[in-house]
Amino acid sequence: MSSVASPKSTVVPEWARLVADSLKQYGVWHTYLKLQEARGAYPNDLSLRGYTEIIRNNIVRDFLAHPKGLAAVPKLSGEFLTNFDRFNLTAQEGYLVSLIDGRLDLQKLLVLSPFDQFTTLFNLAKLQHERAITVP
Amino acid sequence: MTEHRIAEKLTSPIAIINQHGDVEWKNPAFEAAFGPDAKDWLKEASRVVGGERGWLQDFFMEGEEHRTTEVEIEGRSFRVEHLMNVDEYATPAVALWFEDVTQQRQMEQAKSDFTAQIVHDLRGPLSGIQGTLEFVLSQEGTKLDSMYTDLLQEAQRESERMMGLINELLDFSKIESGSFVMEKEPVRVAGVLKRAVRSLQQVASRDEVFLLSAHGRDVPQVIGSVEKLTQAIINLVSNSLKFTPKKGLISVGAQVVRNGEVPESIVITVTDSGMGIKAAEVQQIWEKYKQSGNKSLRGGGGTGLGLYIVRQIVEAHGGEVTVASIEGVGTSMVIKLPVRKSTDTGVITAQRTLA
Repeated sequence: MSSVASPKSTVVPEWARLVADSLKQYGVWHTYLKLQEARGAYPNDLSLRGYTEIIRNNIVRDFLAHPKGLAAVPKLSGEFLTNFDRFNLTAQEGYLVSLIDGRLDLQKLLVLSPFDQFTTLFNLAKLQHERAITVP
Repeated sequence: MTEHRIAEKLTSPIAIINQHGDVEWKNPAFEAAFGPDAKDWLKEASRVVGGERGWLQDFFMEGEEHRTTEVEIEGRSFRVEHLMNVDEYATPAVALWFEDVTQQRQMEQAKSDFTAQIVHDLRGPLSGIQGTLEFVLSQEGTKLDSMYTDLLQEAQRESERMMGLINELLDFSKIESGSFVMEKEPVRVAGVLKRAVRSLQQVASRDEVFLLSAHGRDVPQVIGSVEKLTQAIINLVSNSLKFTPKKGLISVGAQVVRNGEVPESIVITVTDSGMGIKAAEVQQIWEKYKQSGNKSLRGGGGTGLGLYIVRQIVEAHGGEVTVASIEGVGTSMVIKLPVRKSTDTGVITAQRTLA
């Protein structure tokens, strides 16, 4: 799934196969970004939203698979503290970063976050993927 | 013409009817069924008043061949099949085949009434069993051996499952008989999703599955039935729970689709990290009695009606359903509901999907 077919084509891509292949070859984050691109090209494709949600769901599931579960305490990474200009954070990610103090665990962050539980965890997983935070 | 001679021999009514509702040609069976003058109901079927049009006009408006519809004609039910467009008359015309399905529908109605009665009779004693189990398990002073407590809890779970199956059968019989009536009122979708998640949170915890909300509070309202939409979401989450292993995740989300600044529709997703559905089975799961070949991880089968009921509820709200699934990765059930004006209230009825 390294490129998205033209939306002018009336043939709907075989999302299940494309997404499964992409997952195997490139992993969840690459697949997620490609699906986001595809959403722009196929805005009315309802099943495409479903595939995007499957990938987001797996990202959050993997994040929750931490041995400490919701008791895990995220910390800001050294790289973020010394070179935070490199990180191009969204407003939601920026707000969550402001909550991370090295003491609050995921359970407490979920309570303090103004966003829904899933969005909070997804953003934290993204921050971890981008190495802005670590979850030891 | 040979075609006309063949049609004259057929015992099913066939006629060529023009856009004004005039019969251009009919076979003897048509005349036997509807009499020599079928003008009254044909005029009604061909009327166009304002934005409304009679069923006959649909065959002219949509322009596709081999479509069918089911109509009431003089107290009887007919399945009308569009055979072809006919352009040899001054006014556009269509050749229609009429099949009397009155007896078939009456039998279905009788079957549906019988099912509804049986289901109703089963619910009473089962409610009594559930109440008794709940009472015994809620008595803090009762010193029950842990083995008996486990057994009673198991009995409670099974009775809940049985009640779920009975309710599905009841809804199904109502859909089949056309009496699955829903209120049309402004519905806060965020509230519906929250209620559905809350009602299954305990079950998810027991099964060691994460169940998370994935929507904000700013989801617009839709017009429909709070009760039925909640039931649809509960059905979807319950279904996901059956196929999601321990430490898995189910998320219930909602996204607003806008046309410029105006909310146009809401897309609700119930997504799990379960075993997924085989590609060959994906398109069948919304049909009645169809279940995926996967075995439930929590034991016990279903009626195969849960997702069919969801589809009927969603379609009665003017929405659509679809499913995305990757074997071994997960499944996402997707519902799209139109955002309508709050003035559009009243009553809607779920109709079974023909064919």
